[in-house]
Amino acid sequence: MDLSVTGPKIYFEIPILGGIKITQTTVSLLVVTILLITLSYFLTRKLTKRPGRMQVVVEKLVTMLYNLVEDTMGKHNLKFAPYIGTLFLCSIFGTLIGMTQIFRSTTADLSVTLAWALVTTGLVWYHNIKNFGFLAWLKGFTEPIVVMTPMNIVSEIAQPISMAFRHFGNVAGGSVLTALIYAALAALSNLLFSWLPEVIATVMPPIFQAGIPAFLSIYFDLFSGFVQALVFSLLTMVYVGGACPPPAEENPSAKAE
Amino acid sequence: MNDFLNAFEGFVGVNFWTMIFAWINLLILYLVLRKILFKPIKNMIDSRQKEVDDMYDEAESSRRDAAQMKAEYEEKMKHAEEESEDILKKAVRKAQLREEEILQEANEKAARTLKRAEEQVELEKKRAINEVKDEVSDMAIGIAAAVIERDVDKKEHAAMIDDFIRQMGETV
Repeated sequence: MDLSVTGPKIYFEIPILGGIKITQTTVSLLVVTILLITLSYFLTRKLTKRPGRMQVVVEKLVTMLYNLVEDTMGKHNLKFAPYIGTLFLCSIFGTLIGMTQIFRSTTADLSVTLAWALVTTGLVWYHNIKNFGFLAWLKGFTEPIVVMTPMNIVSEIAQPISMAFRHFGNVAGGSVLTALIYAALAALSNLLFSWLPEVIATVMPPIFQAGIPAFLSIYFDLFSGFVQALVFSLLTMVYVGGACPPPAEENPSAKAE
Repeated sequence: MNDFLNAFEGFVGVNFWTMIFAWINLLILYLVLRKILFKPIKNMIDSRQKEVDDMYDEAESSRRDAAQMKAEYEEKMKHAEEESEDILKKAVRKAQLREEEILQEANEKAARTLKRAEEQVELEKKRAINEVKDEVSDMAIGIAAAVIERDVDKKEHAAMIDDFIRQMGETV
């Protein structure tokens, strides 16, 4: 029995710009994008004042999103709600697409989660500089005391890395665990059929693999995927919200990190 | 074996091109979902909210209008009642006046008729008395002439008899 823990499979490589690798992740990203656009198109095709069942559900979810953004970031930051919603949908669909066994979870690739985390960091930096000025932002690193400066810089760099690894680790770890359990269950099945003649034993199906992994999948894919998507979105909201204080607030408080 | 392993990315690794793809997909999804999912639904929710608010406002204003109209109507009704009462009173007074007038007229007419009748009666009475007087005096003279068979001074005796009749007439 072979059990190898690998990254996404590389389908082919476009030999330009030092080689563009088209991997399972690339395909999954594209599939998620197409899936989400198609779903949105069909869900919002016939919006009416008197909503049908589907519309009620979608409206409820969108309202929840806007309420969450308003609670976390404030009413003045509602313009971020579509981005947060997109990020959440990308994350949860990216994780759940791994359940198809055809596509690999996009979030099980560190490149993807790091890319998203860097967007968050970019937004935070951009809005900090825009709202407080470049010098005030730099000065923020020396607070509360100058000695803290290296720590602040490290934490600033650690922020996207920790976000990326948290999400990636949860999903990838889950998939590794699932693979290990599959292998273990196959071994257990083999053990069960070991008393049979070898010719028959090799064609017997690994019966323990049926059913049991489904319960693990509920945790590792559904629950963990939802929690990680929520955590990632919430962290983005908190960080970006910190960089965009309410307009009435005058004192440009340094970003505490 | 080496080839097979090369067909996979590292388990923990960063591929710059995958990051680029992730960004492109995220950007496209952000732009498209904002346009076809978040904004239309948010607008729908907001416009429905606005419609509901408007409806409540409208209902409130309608209710206020109705209350005002009711007050106006009641005011008018009160006014109309007063007016009708006024008209009735006027009519009654007019009728009373007319009644009195008619009564007075009738009374006057009756009085006039009565007076004329009385006058006529008086006249008849006088004429009858005169007639009777003449006859009685003639008769008396005749009787007296026959009784005394003497020529009686007719003139003298007529005056005497008239006197007598007058006295009689006063007792009648």
